[in-house]
Amino acid sequence: MTGTSVLTRGVGSTPMADDSDAFIDEALEYTDQLYAAAMRMTRNPQDAADLVQETYAKAYAARDSFTPGTNLRAWLYRIQTNTYINQYRKRQRQPYEAPLDDLEDWQIGVGESTTATRSRSAEAEAIDRMPAGVVRDALQSIPDDFRMVVYWVDVEGMSYAETAEIMKTPVGTVMSRLHRGRRQLRELLADYAREQGMKAGEKR
Amino acid sequence: MGDCGCDKAKAELEEYLHQELCSEDAADIRAHLDGCTDCAEEHTVGVQLTMALKQACAETAPEQLKDQVLARLRAVQATHS
Repeated sequence: MTGTSVLTRGVGSTPMADDSDAFIDEALEYTDQLYAAAMRMTRNPQDAADLVQETYAKAYAARDSFTPGTNLRAWLYRIQTNTYINQYRKRQRQPYEAPLDDLEDWQIGVGESTTATRSRSAEAEAIDRMPAGVVRDALQSIPDDFRMVVYWVDVEGMSYAETAEIMKTPVGTVMSRLHRGRRQLRELLADYAREQGMKAGEKR
Repeated sequence: MGDCGCDKAKAELEEYLHQELCSEDAADIRAHLDGCTDCAEEHTVGVQLTMALKQACAETAPEQLKDQVLARLRAVQATHS
């Protein structure tokens, strides 16, 4: 990725033992993470696998624009996000859900009040006991932009700044999407816990 | 409007959870959580939610996919050598 490597490439007996090998080695360490993110984006294994392949192909082609020593994971996520938006999201023909940030909470079915009136220790306990499949379903059901912010920050442990870079939004937007996404998840999980509680009551 | 610190704590709890606060602000929140059950419980819910998400989203790429990606990149690499 330096100017001189172009001159040395192809000369000698091991022409490819250069920066492109190093790039591939380093980038492939993130396969699991890119796949997990792709599963959250596309919601099915085949599309997720395709998206990961596309992401790597694009990343490799664009590797000269990556500055070694900077955040490769965030850079790969950025490419993955673009690829997803340009190819998969269009193909899935989901209802248009772009200007969420401009909508009021009541318009997307989020209420601040319900959790406040319940016991928080009971809520924490219910979340702790929640089956993974229920948590995954809840995450899948919230809007794309909220879901991915929650994914990058909570699951991947990215900073708000890194997430803002991936989404090409201001940090404030990341914070508001994160807050609203997490609140929606709490609502969904609380609903589930309440339903389970009712079912348990009926059995008695 | 008695300032017990709850307003500030509630506003910053999510940033605290995600380690986005500077050390002084984080210390303020920590001190507040030690003395405020309500905020401490709210924080526990936040921690549990993050943990639940981490566990639910653990995913390993299929071995086959790793092989396919590598093969594809090697093929591209070969055409440029």
